[in-house]
Amino acid sequence: DSHIQYERVGADVTMKCGSMDWDAAVTWTANGTDIDESHLNGSYLILKNVDLTQSGQYSCYEGSSWHLKYQTYLRVGTPPKEPVLMCRSNNYPKGFYCSWHLPTPTYIPNSFNISVIHGTKEMVCEKDAVPKNRCHIRYLQLFSTVKYKVTLTVTNALGKNFTTLTFDEFGIVKPDPPESVVAKPVPNNPRRLEVSWQNPSSWPDPESFPLKFFLRYRPLILDQWQHVELSDGTSHTITDAYAGKEYIIQVAAKDNDIGTWSDWSVAVHATPWTEEPKHLTTEAQITETTSTSTSSFMAPPTTKICDKGAMVGSGAVAVCWTAGLVVAAYSVLFI
Amino acid sequence: MAGADSPSAALRRRDLCTRGIRLVGKMRSDVIDLLDTYVERQGLDASASVAAVEGVPPAAVERWDEQTGTQRLLENLAAYRAFRVLLAQMLEEQREQLGEADAALGRALASVLLQVSAFAYHLEELLQLESRSPPSEEGDGPPPQPHLSLFEQKLRGLGVLRELAQWAVRSARDLRQLAKPSPGTGSAPGLAESP
Repeated sequence: DSHIQYERVGADVTMKCGSMDWDAAVTWTANGTDIDESHLNGSYLILKNVDLTQSGQYSCYEGSSWHLKYQTYLRVGTPPKEPVLMCRSNNYPKGFYCSWHLPTPTYIPNSFNISVIHGTKEMVCEKDAVPKNRCHIRYLQLFSTVKYKVTLTVTNALGKNFTTLTFDEFGIVKPDPPESVVAKPVPNNPRRLEVSWQNPSSWPDPESFPLKFFLRYRPLILDQWQHVELSDGTSHTITDAYAGKEYIIQVAAKDNDIGTWSDWSVAVHATPWTEEPKHLTTEAQITETTSTSTSSFMAPPTTKICDKGAMVGSGAVAVCWTAGLVVAAYSVLFI
Repeated sequence: MAGADSPSAALRRRDLCTRGIRLVGKMRSDVIDLLDTYVERQGLDASASVAAVEGVPPAAVERWDEQTGTQRLLENLAAYRAFRVLLAQMLEEQREQLGEADAALGRALASVLLQVSAFAYHLEELLQLESRSPPSEEGDGPPPQPHLSLFEQKLRGLGVLRELAQWAVRSARDLRQLAKPSPGTGSAPGLAESP
């Protein structure tokens, strides 16, 4: 008869060969491989300080006849540590979900039991098929000040553990990030980018439960983000982009009144509209032909040397700062 | 009901709802600030659990999405009329307890009371637009309170403000439901007469 035996990592395990006497002659195998007699005490198999690699099928055969007398599947593992539990409402006001995981694996099967109590009422959290460690619950009441108490118990053959989360209806509201974020240049506008997005599809009623949005953007070459908070609408025009620079843009959402901000959306990239390159070819060519030995200071010919956004000063004294650098470099060379 | 559905009535309703949402948004923000001040000045623990306070209409509601427009207005109006009385009581108690020592708290309470009154009036206007006279206030208000100790008064005040903050969120949602174009056949969330 084969059965499963669960033991803790580090434990000492003694296996009896079924009903065989202690002094019977037996052979033990682990996953089909004979086990050395040094591990035997009579007909008992002694495994000291077991580790995970010793999980497997152990069989005991009668000495001369090689009849199988006993078989067990040894699973070495650990009792569960305190599970990590999270509850969130991304579909307010329909309901919320809770998901959980163990901080470290136990290496043996675990079962989870979740209980949700609202005041004195026990609610049923329906387990999702996918993902496995998740369940969802429909709100029976809205605008309640009474807190929810969620207790998750995890049990395996070697022990059990639990954790409890207490929260109110408003505190766990966190929408999914906005979807379909699109950023486009604006024709003839070198400093503008038009950004649009959609409400997350999981948010059931944006008309009665409107979302507000947070946009962040920066040129790829800089670390600092610019932020804009938008109380309505699902589009925004950035008007202070650095001309010609590629931008990275993200949007987050939050219920207008309650809860917390969503994670940032998928990032989109966009570069503001620039003039046709042919207008600047003459400039680039002149600069290139006079710079035979200072290539490290020169921008490649296809890149604009100077754009409106990079001007310093004004009027007749306006100087493009990159051109200024180039001039300074030449001056150093010719001193 | 024909009058209530006329284009001008619909426009007026939307306008009242929009203004009401703004009003209640500002009120909520002020109530949250007032809660912080109240907890501090009254020497309370912000996380103190307060059991349901008698006379305080709970914002919690089942099947909220199935309510008709009229139900929403009536429940909101009953709540804010009750809060008007409760806040006036709190103001009186606060003046008795602290006198002039805490004018700031008194002013904040008075400001919220004013906003609650304004919103109650706003709700009455919305009800009248639905050719529904607002119910009279005679005999309204919370039942007379047994004499409470100072500490019990403070805890009750905390419960009142917390429930008011909850109502402010619910009212904004209710008004947004009301502002939605009616489906025309009188089913929720339109402004059909309640059965």
